[in-house]
Amino acid sequence: MATDLVPEVVQPAADSSRPASAPRRRRRTKSLGRDLWRYRWLYLLLLPGLVYFVVFKYLPMYGLTIAFKDYVPFLGYSGSEWVGLKHFQELFTGPDFGRLMFNTLLLAVLTIVFVFPAPIVVALLLNELRINVLKRSVQSLVYIPHFLSWTIVASLTYLLFSVDFGVIANWIHGLVGGQKTDYVAQADWFRPLIVLQLLWKQTGWGTIIYLAALAGVDSQLYEAARVDGAGRWRQFWHITLPAIRPTIVVMAILTSGHLMDSGFEQIWLMTTSLNRDVADVFDTFVYYIGITQGSFSYATAVGLFKGLIGVVLIFGSNFLAKRMGQRGLF
Amino acid sequence: MTIFSKRRLAVAAALSTALLAASACSGGGDDKGGQAASTELTVMAPLFGTAPDPNGELQQAVEKLIGKKLQITWVPNAEYGDKSNVTLASDKIPDVMVVNEKGPSFVKAAEAGAFWDLTGKLDKYENLKPANEQTAKNTQTNGKTYGIYRVRPLLRSGIVIRKDWLAKLGLKEPQSVEDLYTIAKAFADKDPDGNGKKDTYGLIIPKWPGNYASASPYDVIETWFGAPNGWGERDGKLVPGFDTPEFLAANQWLRKWVKEGLVNPDFATLDSANWNDPFVQGKGGMIIDVNVRATQLLDLFKEKNPKDFDKVTLVGNLKGPDGEKHSYPFTGYNMVMAISKQHVRTEEQLNQVLETLNKLESKEGSILLTNGIEGRNFKADGKYAVPINQDDPKVKAIQNDVDKAFIQLGTRASVGLGAYALRPNDEASRKMREKFDVLMNEDLKTAVFNPALSIIAPTSVAKGQTLDTIIPDARIKYLSGAITEDQLKAQIKRWYDSGGTDIVKEVNDLAAKAGG
Repeated sequence: MATDLVPEVVQPAADSSRPASAPRRRRRTKSLGRDLWRYRWLYLLLLPGLVYFVVFKYLPMYGLTIAFKDYVPFLGYSGSEWVGLKHFQELFTGPDFGRLMFNTLLLAVLTIVFVFPAPIVVALLLNELRINVLKRSVQSLVYIPHFLSWTIVASLTYLLFSVDFGVIANWIHGLVGGQKTDYVAQADWFRPLIVLQLLWKQTGWGTIIYLAALAGVDSQLYEAARVDGAGRWRQFWHITLPAIRPTIVVMAILTSGHLMDSGFEQIWLMTTSLNRDVADVFDTFVYYIGITQGSFSYATAVGLFKGLIGVVLIFGSNFLAKRMGQRGLF
Repeated sequence: MTIFSKRRLAVAAALSTALLAASACSGGGDDKGGQAASTELTVMAPLFGTAPDPNGELQQAVEKLIGKKLQITWVPNAEYGDKSNVTLASDKIPDVMVVNEKGPSFVKAAEAGAFWDLTGKLDKYENLKPANEQTAKNTQTNGKTYGIYRVRPLLRSGIVIRKDWLAKLGLKEPQSVEDLYTIAKAFADKDPDGNGKKDTYGLIIPKWPGNYASASPYDVIETWFGAPNGWGERDGKLVPGFDTPEFLAANQWLRKWVKEGLVNPDFATLDSANWNDPFVQGKGGMIIDVNVRATQLLDLFKEKNPKDFDKVTLVGNLKGPDGEKHSYPFTGYNMVMAISKQHVRTEEQLNQVLETLNKLESKEGSILLTNGIEGRNFKADGKYAVPINQDDPKVKAIQNDVDKAFIQLGTRASVGLGAYALRPNDEASRKMREKFDVLMNEDLKTAVFNPALSIIAPTSVAKGQTLDTIIPDARIKYLSGAITEDQLKAQIKRWYDSGGTDIVKEVNDLAAKAGG
């Protein structure tokens, strides 16, 4: 026993967050108990978080059973009748599924193409700024929109783009002429507006994490590169980008889990009768059928399906990242 | 050491389980229902301002009258629908709930037995038995009465028009839809505000939050053209109103309006909360809505400029292109008060609750709910209530509790039909108020009622989420020019294909059964 202790103690303290990874498999139970005792204070610290997840995330999952029932609140969870996969069948064969899937996926693709890289680009640009005061003030200014609620963002959009009194709409009309375009109502403009809103609201906030990664790059690397005759572009390509690549990968994996989340509030606030065909996504659909129509079982089935896709995407992109030689998330 | 830590683990596990159990229990811990129901009544109702103080003067007066403590959950009106759906899914359904008795989640709950079937039970209570046959029929759900309806005027539709614009352009009040077009055209083209610019339009329409046949300006115009109100009989069968030539004719006509710039260009997106703004700002000259909007607008103009006290006129329903007048009636009520079975379990307890409600809706109760405490915040003057002592903050609180909250609990007297009518501020408002009744009685003669109002087809409950938006969306798209008439017809066909065919069959079957 005493001999066993030695290598364990030498282990760096940083690894103590994962003490369960005991060195030898056959001794696992024994050393698990010992580890639990040894790191008891750390486990105590973990406990509130654990309880939070169990109470608020795992126990409510019991409610997912209503996806397989015809849930009537008055009869309760146990009293409602089991119907198997009826609601899933209804979803997959129903008239809405194709449209919902297409809209959700298209918005996800647009998000990846336009919204995801935006903070990286802005962070890199900010990183190149020489004047510290300017850099900091720009940085603060661009992340202010993050703190505004979607309701305000949507109202602003209406104010700026309304066909009757929209400032920007009138301005564009003055430049381009022709017939007035109703940006907020027309289906063609729905997706561009959504992407624009996302860019405006989230880009600045997203830069923070990349700027933090950039701040961690050793300045000696740049000095050495300059001595070797590397220009700005070379420095960027061979030092800056590799330095933040792990951060980008982790962010990409995390984002992929949310690809099916189109952002309920934003979409819901921007939906009108004219653009509903392109605006309906799983999130708003769940709201309509669950809260507005009271079809709780069907809504749960749709939400569960969406969640499953999210899980697949997270594991998938994590696997891909590892395959491409990057450190995955887990 | 191993044993020791195992024991530790066991303790920790036991502890956390206990913790979880405790937190899980607290959710369902207040099942004091049964016995408490006799001295206390829990109620849920919409709220239009700040919630009343439960110990306030008005609530105490009401409690004294009915002899029971009231536990009222006031829910802001804007989120009332969502909140009542969520409440219906919880284990905290109040004894008395103001609810939309046609909403899918209520229908499902009621059919599962969550609410008392009050059919035939109300007649023995003097103040609860329906005062109007038509309205009572409207409130039924497939032949069953699940609640006591909250009365509203039976006909409230009308057109609010800028009186001074009419006079300036030498136009008369409209009698027919052709007249209305002439006026809209003149409002848009002939510079009624005299600023030399072509910056006005005729009609103001907002983004309509409701579905098809929900008293939108579109529904009213379609009725003028002779389309059914919701459902109508064609060749001996009930058909949805949008599957009639009159529906198409009305929308072709209105599409022309939109194209010619006679309607506000943002009619698909204008927030209905800001409906008055373009009217007061002098951008548009007409609104088709409930008549009380006329008095609202009168007041708004006066607020802006005390001299502008007579800028608004109100016109009733119009003659269609065939020269016949068809008026759009309202249902005569707005939501019902249903009694849940959660705490009120026996017939005996139900009778107690009904007895209490009977007291609440008596003459004295109605005065409390719709006017307040006589001698405190108002005095009666003939048929009018005159506000008094309004500078006293305590009295102001009573007035606020009445207007923003308690009036919602009235079923015999309520919004628009107070026990005493509020005495109008000035001559113009008084005349306008009197006009309401005149126009209502006149238009009721030509009212087009919805014969299927009390029928809920099972398919429409099950597939509402898919079907409900098809028609109103298609209508707006057609009006805005985004789709053609053929595409509009294709959308109507889509409604049939997505479950509408079943709904039509069910509605006809249920109507045949109900009609006997």
